[in-house]
Amino acid sequence: MTRYIKTAVILFLICAICTALCAVVNEVTAPRIAANVEGERLSALSDVSRGLEIGEQVDVGDGSINYYIPLLGGSSVAGYIVELSSSGYGGAMTIIASYDTDGAVMEAMMMANSETPGLGKKAEEPWYMEMFKGLGGESPLPSQKSDLSAEDNAAVSGASITFGGVSSALINGSEFVKGLGGAV
Amino acid sequence: MSHIKELTKGIFKENPTFIIMLGMCPTLGVSTQVSNAIGMGASVIFVLTCSNIFISLLRKVIPDSVRIPCYIVIIASFVTIVEMVLHAFVPSVYEALGVYLPLIVVNCIILGRAEAFAGKNGVLDSALDGIGMGIGFTLSLSLIALIRELFGAGTITLFPVGSFDGVITVPGISESPVRVLTLAAGALLLMGYLKAFFQWKSARSQGGKA
Repeated sequence: MTRYIKTAVILFLICAICTALCAVVNEVTAPRIAANVEGERLSALSDVSRGLEIGEQVDVGDGSINYYIPLLGGSSVAGYIVELSSSGYGGAMTIIASYDTDGAVMEAMMMANSETPGLGKKAEEPWYMEMFKGLGGESPLPSQKSDLSAEDNAAVSGASITFGGVSSALINGSEFVKGLGGAV
Repeated sequence: MSHIKELTKGIFKENPTFIIMLGMCPTLGVSTQVSNAIGMGASVIFVLTCSNIFISLLRKVIPDSVRIPCYIVIIASFVTIVEMVLHAFVPSVYEALGVYLPLIVVNCIILGRAEAFAGKNGVLDSALDGIGMGIGFTLSLSLIALIRELFGAGTITLFPVGSFDGVITVPGISESPVRVLTLAAGALLLMGYLKAFFQWKSARSQGGKA
């Protein structure tokens, strides 16, 4: 019995020391990580806005749409930026996309993700989102790899789950924007 | 003299990648770009050295029956620290390493050295073993990444500094690269050739026949 208690105490102490060590490092790094993430988000908003004025953020938080921001062209709404959540091969993914008021994708960027380097990580590269641009309005967005051209199909080969996650997120965003109907 | 031997053995004689064949998953997965290899290697050096020191210090305290869970807790803690530090100070490397960074917890080199060396030897030797094995792993990973990226994409990706974007494009190769080298099949093929080369070098230096 004493042996078991001694073993449990040692294991507990090792865990406690390790946890304290992680807590100290977290205390130092957390503000910097938060600042980095916010900086990346603001940079992405600017990149997808195509020079249009960025309006006020409206939180949604329904699981697939985190928030939307109207893009203002003069006094009218020219489009929307939507932050989308989806899941890929490595878990949760966040995508920031801008849409015309008719739901067509203007620009899109992959943000936080844990996709596999060399495979799903390709979704971070600018050419990846080119295959979705201009679609979602009159022309539908691709929902599966077979909807893509042979060249695009080959490019996303080996990362079907990532493609499915990106595609479904952009389709959700497009439907959401259509539902807004140009309102602020 | 024996301390120096502990440091240098991991670089060639007991190289974890080419001789002991440990840590193959990240070796094949991350070696698509030189910058990824250097980032992964630096992370492994840190985790391996710190975990070896910690485990060596506690080797007489940790009961034999729970040594593996203890090793895993210690290793996981150092991996978490590396993750937080990279995320805060080198976010580009953190993003590039992706899922392979938390997977250092189950990297065979780390647990292998804890079990085979740090749990049985003194702090200084364990630290030197960690540094040496980490450097050996980093050099191997960087060599594989350099060959794969150079011939597979015609580029060498380092870290951006000032106006330098970090990517060196090699004329001649970038127009017609050997694409298979960037794929998993190419990585295995290259790994096989390099393993054969190191086996031959090792046998030759021992005066045997390869």
